[in-house]
Amino acid sequence: MAKRGWSRRQICVAGAVLGAAVSPRVRAAGRQLRVLAWPGYAEPEVVAAFEQRSGARVEVSVVDSDTVLWQRLTHNHAQDFDVFAANTAELQRYIRQELVLPLDTNALPNRRRQLPRFRDAASLPGLVQGGRLYGVPYAYAEMGLIYDRVRVLDPPSSITALWDERYQGRVLAYNDGSHNFSLAAQALGLKTPFHLSEAQWPRAVDRLIALRRNVAGFYTQPEESVAMFKRRQAWLMFANYGSQQLQLVRQAGLDVGYVIPKEGALAWLDCWAVTRGARDPALAHAWIDHLLEPEPSRLLMTRQGLGCTVQASPVERPGDKLLWLEPVENEERRNALWARIVSGDRASRVLAP
Amino acid sequence: MTADPSPQSETAALASPAVLQPPGLPSGLGAAASPPSATAPPRRSRLRLGIAGRLALVLALVGLCAAGLTGFYAYQASRNLQVVSARNELLTSTQVLARRITQTREEITRNLQVLVNHPATLTVLQRGDAADADRLASLFGGVMTANPSYLQLRLISASEHGLERVRMDRRGASPVRVLGDALQEKGHYAYVAETLQMPAGATYLSRITINHESGTAAGFDQPALQQAMPVIDAAGKAIGVVVVNVDLNSMFALLAADLPEAFALYLANGGGDILIHPDSSKTFGFDRGRRVLLQDEFAATAPVVNGRSEHVVFDVDGDAEPGGPPQAGLVAAFVALPLESPANENRLVLGLAQPLAQVLAQSQPLGQAITRIVLGLGLVSLLVAAALAQALTRPINAVSEAARRFAAGETPGDLPLRRNDEIGSLARRFQQMQVQITRQLADLTTKQQELEHLSHHDMLTGLPNRRLFQDRLAHALAQARRNGEAVCLLFIDLNNFKQVNDQHGHDAGDVVLQIIAQRLHAAMRQADTVARLGGDEFVVLLDTSAHPLHVALIAEKLLDEIRLPVPHGCKQLQVDASIGIARYPHDGETASDIMANADRAMYATKTAGEGGYRFFSVPLE
Repeated sequence: MAKRGWSRRQICVAGAVLGAAVSPRVRAAGRQLRVLAWPGYAEPEVVAAFEQRSGARVEVSVVDSDTVLWQRLTHNHAQDFDVFAANTAELQRYIRQELVLPLDTNALPNRRRQLPRFRDAASLPGLVQGGRLYGVPYAYAEMGLIYDRVRVLDPPSSITALWDERYQGRVLAYNDGSHNFSLAAQALGLKTPFHLSEAQWPRAVDRLIALRRNVAGFYTQPEESVAMFKRRQAWLMFANYGSQQLQLVRQAGLDVGYVIPKEGALAWLDCWAVTRGARDPALAHAWIDHLLEPEPSRLLMTRQGLGCTVQASPVERPGDKLLWLEPVENEERRNALWARIVSGDRASRVLAP
Repeated sequence: MTADPSPQSETAALASPAVLQPPGLPSGLGAAASPPSATAPPRRSRLRLGIAGRLALVLALVGLCAAGLTGFYAYQASRNLQVVSARNELLTSTQVLARRITQTREEITRNLQVLVNHPATLTVLQRGDAADADRLASLFGGVMTANPSYLQLRLISASEHGLERVRMDRRGASPVRVLGDALQEKGHYAYVAETLQMPAGATYLSRITINHESGTAAGFDQPALQQAMPVIDAAGKAIGVVVVNVDLNSMFALLAADLPEAFALYLANGGGDILIHPDSSKTFGFDRGRRVLLQDEFAATAPVVNGRSEHVVFDVDGDAEPGGPPQAGLVAAFVALPLESPANENRLVLGLAQPLAQVLAQSQPLGQAITRIVLGLGLVSLLVAAALAQALTRPINAVSEAARRFAAGETPGDLPLRRNDEIGSLARRFQQMQVQITRQLADLTTKQQELEHLSHHDMLTGLPNRRLFQDRLAHALAQARRNGEAVCLLFIDLNNFKQVNDQHGHDAGDVVLQIIAQRLHAAMRQADTVARLGGDEFVVLLDTSAHPLHVALIAEKLLDEIRLPVPHGCKQLQVDASIGIARYPHDGETASDIMANADRAMYATKTAGEGGYRFFSVPLE
């Protein structure tokens, strides 16, 4: 997942940076924490509270894409930052490159506040390696389905609704190869959406061509999706931006519902990790522990519309299944094939070398 | 007496020799008597500007200020005019450019109409006729050759998921036909789906975006827009669309080709997303997952982007944003370009910007000219001020110099008496004062001399009195003592004078005394002193040491003069006198001794009864 940031969240960036900069206390101890975070993860009041508590100075840098995050951390072998947040799929390559340190769970007492599914790190992909914990879940967003409650009387329950011929020309999907191949895999009922075997590729491509023929269009930006939903009188939309996108469509005056398909909704889960270059790992642990207090999570939900790990999401129903993003078998291939599919090529040409 | 130093130091100036003030203004009568301060050098301990200097400075400053302010405001006004005119020109240029875009779009629309209405278009869509497709392809090729900014021209069917039926791509300069398997399904693109919803003859304008449709020979990953028109069959059903892909940059490069090089071109869609910007990293931000908005770059464009205003013209100051990249000052004009294109929020925003420095560069020669004029005027005002100050202070200095000379007792020089102004009046007053002082001074001297005379002379006879005589005697004794000379003193007392007074009255007595005094005075040399000691006593001091015989002769001569009758009315009055002679050093060392001894000698004579004379001590010779 290369893109997920959106402009509304960026408004908070300046605030967070400013809040950190103008904080009045000058720490005699000279302890300093360099945080690399996503917009809205380190709100000014959260930073101020931590500074007061720890006596350290917090420097927050903000990124809005996985690519930039990777560039900034690898630039100086992770020496420039102490602590950062990356999603479960991304975190694995940081672990592989030994850019992160294993965490000391004793220094994170607030983990007990987390919901069981987040506390149980072993059940989350890639957080535990070699028996050691590398990330603490913090924020997430799932990619459900938005539907027009007036036109679609029977709320969709499966991801296959995107292919439903009844909705031909009324479906909006997201223009991204990695996710769409995962959706195709889900529609095909494959065991995991993140790993296509060689034999499964042609079927997945067929599914995606079928999707292309069923949709009214593919969107990229959340605002664009809302405009298209209205203009093209869409009934069903794959919500790549999840509940944030739902809010936006509702704000546009549309009567829409939101469901998590029974196959499970793809979801990114951002986790805090401590870099190999951390100058003060204890302080970094204290920061992570601080963010597991109720207030940061509350702000995450109310201001960002994101899910948090200490309180159940209001849009989720019991039994809803979330599929935490994992590294896909071949992102490049997925994107290359998708580029042909979305351009209108037919199957033979898509799969041509 | 010293002259009051304050006027002197006040007026002492070193700035110009012409205003050096001579010191020592006269003050009162003492000036003539005590002139030394008049020649004292002027005080130069502190540098001070004289009136001339100050006046020149003030005048020059006023002149410079006037010239400078005029120049400054002229420059400001012309600069503002230039900015205003640049803004107007820029707005006009932008509006012209907007019209050209509209014209270009209309031209594209006309081309689409020709292609849509071509009979082959319908037959290709309805029957898939290969020969007609070939004809259409060559027609497309011709249109593309004529329009270099057309990247792609396609006929797309509504059926088969929007399969392309005829497709010409640009490969370099020439159009190339795409055939068979390479033809793609485009039904999910808005330019197909939405155009199919439109009535006959309507034109669809796509969102201007980066073209990521693979399989495109030219314009892949390049900014492009699609303009499309539905193909309607006899039943009124849209069965396909003709789509032209236009290369945004080459289209705008053509449109803006005749704009000056320094002009920067901006284009944004109705949402404010920047599409064309001198800094290409700011364009199509939405395509990279982060919108870059025109209204964020230039806050002043917000009304145009939001549709509240048709156009906006504004200046941007240099390096406006702290911490941001240094930004040169700009004059910019943005106009709204209304479109029938929901994908672009029905509006494009077009802008041109010109560096402020370039606008203002035209006012630079003017600024230099104004600076030269101001400097010239300043110099002239300096010279005029200096000349004026000179003219004003020269006559004042002349009066001052005259006063100094007068105080020093010299002849006052020429005064500017004939002037009709305040300075002339000052000179005349000064002259009057000078004349008056001179006259009063003369009177005073006379009176002083009279007083002096009165204090040393006898009122009645006019002869020196006792006081003056004692002075002269002391003086003569001192001189004689020094030179080893002799002094001779004759003490004369009138005999029978009391009878004259008693018999003939005091007037007669006075007449006798006066006449005798005249005779005694006349009888003696000028150097000798004849004095009246009081009453009927006279005394004669011989100036030189005389031989006793000679003295005796003098005494006799004096007696003769005294004995001559004095006419008083019809009477002749006569008195005699006794004379006592005392000599220095023979008869005493001191004046009082000499006087006393002469007196004794006189008494001795008087006691003898007859008038006559007698030496105090008989001379040895």
